[in-house]
This record gives sequence, C-alpha cells and structure tokens, in this order.
Amino acid sequence: MNEVILIKAFGMIAEKIGGSELEWKNPGTLEALRAKLENEFPDLKAAKFGFAINKKLLQSDAEIPAGAEVALLPPFSGG
Amino acid sequence: MEKERKPKNIFVQGAITPEKIAQSIANHSTKTDIGGHSIFLGQVRADEKPEGKVVAIDYSAYEEMALEKAFEIREAIFAKYPLTCMHIYHSLGEVKVGELCLFVFTSSKHRNAAMDACDKLVERIKAELPVWGKEILDSDGHVWKVNV
Repeated sequence: MNEVILIKAFGMIAEKIGGSELEWKNPGTLEALRAKLENEFPDLKAAKFGFAINKKLLQSDAEIPAGAEVALLPPFSGG
Repeated sequence: MEKERKPKNIFVQGAITPEKIAQSIANHSTKTDIGGHSIFLGQVRADEKPEGKVVAIDYSAYEEMALEKAFEIREAIFAKYPLTCMHIYHSLGEVKVGELCLFVFTSSKHRNAAMDACDKLVERIKAELPVWGKEILDSDGHVWKVNV
C-alpha cells in the first residue's frame, strides 16, 4: 500500500512553502496534515487555505486515502 | 437529439484577444435557431494598492480540478436554462492591465436565458474554480488578488 501522499500547493500557499509539490508520509487526516504543515512552515499559521483530496473539495476534516493527491487551496481569485 | 457533452479545456495562455472573441461570435452565424447572445468580458484593472499600482495579473490554476469543476458548472447551467451554446475561456499566465482575462458567452433562442445564464456562470466561475491571480505591481512586488 502506498502510504506516501502527493501534496500540491497553489497561489499564496505555494509561495509560503517555497514550492508547489511535496511528497510526504500520509499523516492520516487533514487536521493532522494541517498541524504538520504549520509545524514545518510556520508562515502557514496565519494563512487561509482549504483542502481538496483527489480533486474534490473538503469542507471538514477527512481521512486521507493511501496514495492521495492533497491540494492546499487558498481562497480562489479567478476572473 | 441530445449531444453528449465532454469536459473542454477552458484555459488559454495569456490574454484573450478581441480577435478570438470576434471569431467566436462569427462562428455562430450558422446556428440560426439562436435569437440572442450574452457576453461577459473580464478585463484586468489597474488597481491602486498600498504597495503599488497593478500592472498585470499572473494567473495560475489547479488545472485538472478546475476543468472538472467547470464541466460540472456547465452541465448545471445547461440543465437550468434553455441554452443553445455556452463557451468559457479563462487566461493562465500573465495578462496586462487593459487586456481580457475572462470570456463567457451564452446563446439562446430568447434573450433572457442567455443573459441570466451568463450572469450565473460568471458568479460561479469566480467563486468555485481553483484559479488564483497574482497581481504584479509597478513597485516590482506583488499581492494576491482577492475576489469580492
């Protein structure tokens, strides 16, 4: 089982992380991932962002499936 | 007969040219059941920010998710309004002030469906597509666009 997840960051979040992709061991849930991200990148504590798992937007905490693609999405500003 | 609709690429690299828009309008002349078109064009504005004046917006997107979402929105709008045609184009990369970054085009037998659908589409595109605008400033810095 692939317990590594691909994290994709966009917009202001990519800027704060200093890159657009990370490969991490699956922390299990989105809340655990947020805590791990904030620990690794303290700038993220003040940033607003949500998650999508495998391209589906999640409004609350969720389990991260093995091998998932998890996107870090700051507020959208297209148009 | 109902035509099967598939996800289309809505993204264009750089600004959307007035020529592309003119051509798109012209392409509808053979569709003689259309009685009205509605068009929305988004243009990059030279906003004055505390950090400087906006000279361009650099757009980026989570493209795969945005295309899936655009398809979902498209299907929902087609189901709600009696439209003949719908086209959505959004820029990626740098678009300078005064240039066009969004082109939404709806057509129907009668004007109201086209106008209402166009309005709803623009609102949903801005709220729901994972697209981000980095506003490039004349001071060489940048700020992240916020949609109101």
